[in-house]
Amino acid sequence: MGARISRATLLRWAPFLVLIALVVFFTILNPSFFSLRNAARIALAATPALMVAIGVTFILIMGSIDLSMEGAVSVTAVLFATVFLQLGGTLASWAWIALPAAVLAGAVFGMLNGWLHVKLQIPSFMASLAFGFVGTGLALMMTGGDRIRVEDELFRGLLTFRFAGFPLMVWLAFGFVLIAWFIQTRTTIGRNLYAVGGGEELAHASGLNTRRVRVIGFTLAGAFYALGALMAVARIGIAETATGNNFMFISITSAVVGGVALWGGIGGVWNAVVGVLIVNVINNGMVVIGLPDYLQDGVLGLMVILAVVLSTDRRLVSFVK
Amino acid sequence: MSTFIRDYIEAQTLSRRKFLLASAAGMGAALAPMGMAGRANAALTDPAMAWSYRDRTNPYWNSIVSGGESFASSIGKDKGFMTHLINEGSSEKSLSDIKAFLSKTGGNCAIACDANDSPNARPVVEAVKAAGGYVSTIWNKTDDLHPWDFGDNYVSHMTWSDEGPAEQTARILFEAMGNKGGVVHLGGIAANNPAIERLNGLKNALKDFPDIELLDAQPADWDTQKANELMASFLTRYGDEIKGVHCANDTIAYGVLEALRAEGIEGMPVVSYDGNLQAVELVMKGDILCTVSTNPYWGGGITSALSYHAAIGTFKPSEEPPEHREFYGPTVLITKADAEEFRKTNLDATPTYDWTDFWGPGNGQIQYK
Repeated sequence: MGARISRATLLRWAPFLVLIALVVFFTILNPSFFSLRNAARIALAATPALMVAIGVTFILIMGSIDLSMEGAVSVTAVLFATVFLQLGGTLASWAWIALPAAVLAGAVFGMLNGWLHVKLQIPSFMASLAFGFVGTGLALMMTGGDRIRVEDELFRGLLTFRFAGFPLMVWLAFGFVLIAWFIQTRTTIGRNLYAVGGGEELAHASGLNTRRVRVIGFTLAGAFYALGALMAVARIGIAETATGNNFMFISITSAVVGGVALWGGIGGVWNAVVGVLIVNVINNGMVVIGLPDYLQDGVLGLMVILAVVLSTDRRLVSFVK
Repeated sequence: MSTFIRDYIEAQTLSRRKFLLASAAGMGAALAPMGMAGRANAALTDPAMAWSYRDRTNPYWNSIVSGGESFASSIGKDKGFMTHLINEGSSEKSLSDIKAFLSKTGGNCAIACDANDSPNARPVVEAVKAAGGYVSTIWNKTDDLHPWDFGDNYVSHMTWSDEGPAEQTARILFEAMGNKGGVVHLGGIAANNPAIERLNGLKNALKDFPDIELLDAQPADWDTQKANELMASFLTRYGDEIKGVHCANDTIAYGVLEALRAEGIEGMPVVSYDGNLQAVELVMKGDILCTVSTNPYWGGGITSALSYHAAIGTFKPSEEPPEHREFYGPTVLITKADAEEFRKTNLDATPTYDWTDFWGPGNGQIQYK
């Protein structure tokens, strides 16, 4: 019994061990990697991607995929900035409404995305990819290609105000991680996501309205994409159509590296957290140890593959598609 | 098999074959006049206009096509008159969109185009010439491709030499650093020509400043968020050694400034490139020491104007000297002293240009190394 449990435990903690190993590796090559200031830099870089990765984790748990995050992030970022500036442009006024409004808009975006996938029976891969372009298009329509600046000192306090060495938005993101964890472990919908991902036909036969669960899952993901968008705007003070760029790669990679299985039912919020940290540690570490830039993309790819190999249990799957 | 089913299948097969044949014949008929339409080298009447470029989400390309639209409205066309051929960074799409536009207009068109990468310029130009249309290109073409080898149809090519201006921004940066200390460079997409030229400009300036050390130069892919993360990593690696930052463009500089702001670092000398509105305002505030405008609005407008006026016969390209067919676009260095004036005349108001002054603001004939 002991051997079996230790193997399971090891697998459970494998992504975390990979993260530790990476930190040790980079610290040996350049001790300044291991410092509070650099930890804060990595955390800050990881924050927007973390929110998006948590969103897509809910979808991956269901065994679906969502590729709409770049469009969702762009459209909610632009919407937030537009409403925020319209209502006064500072958190000290009614403009704070723009924050929940953006999250709501993200949820609606996600709901439409999920509804298209379920109602029109389009595979989530295609439905969400296409719907992501709709989002990018909407953002472009709203901005006309311009960038919107959000310079309110209070809002930018998310970046500039620090507590215990970390910017406020890092702590805020941590709060949202706990909320996501609560949803995942303590709510019916959280359990239902696993039920759908673990065996949709079984769940359906047991009387679960799996279509409804799917739409709710996508709605939840949309809300988290919007949170990612808010963090991204807080970090650089600019909302534009390009705000969503690169989030697709980093969020899905992070979730998978962290141990969320693409075939559904396995992994969760903490896997996404560890995965995002792994990818950002690699990105930061490569520069810090002075790896030539022409090697960085290749090394990132190899390290991602290595991390996936180490952190997923392929014994349980008979085939990979 | 029952006769009914057999008959049914036969009937269906036949009707399907008829349908295919009929549509093939229809398409042939529709295509025939297109083949005959081209080849005419005489001036066109009321040619359609198109801009072929990467994407509009980028402020630079947005300025380019806004200039093109401004030219279109100056000749009494409404905003929708300009067809946007967006290649999304794909040379294949660039070429196929242009071919589709040529077919649609039967060659009666004036196209402005950035071919996305250098080798793609030749097939684009050849397709336009074969259809009898007119094209002016910017940025990307190979050194052996020249407008004068294509008679009138390849009207002009404009590009910008960034090495000189990037060297100027570097000198301003070094002087602000007190002629000593470490500098980092955040570049564009490594293989992009402007990215290479802007880094070369920095390296040229370094030769005259022995006490300045280039600590690191890495690509930030023209991306604000990537630049932000890269700058944070630079701060870990080099810390206080960094005394100045040389950015390949404005969008990179925004990310750098925010990375510095997050660390509470103030007064770090930063120089930039492109002359976007936000950057010009940051120059006025003193957050950026200087930026360089290539005036994309004018560039986009004049490229449309050149192809259009050549198409309607206002001038005959083959009778123009080489410096009117291949030339450098304007570059303007913007420092704190002239930022406000620049903003007033070029960015606040919609600038008005004389779209028939094709070559006045240019910077001379393109020189090949």
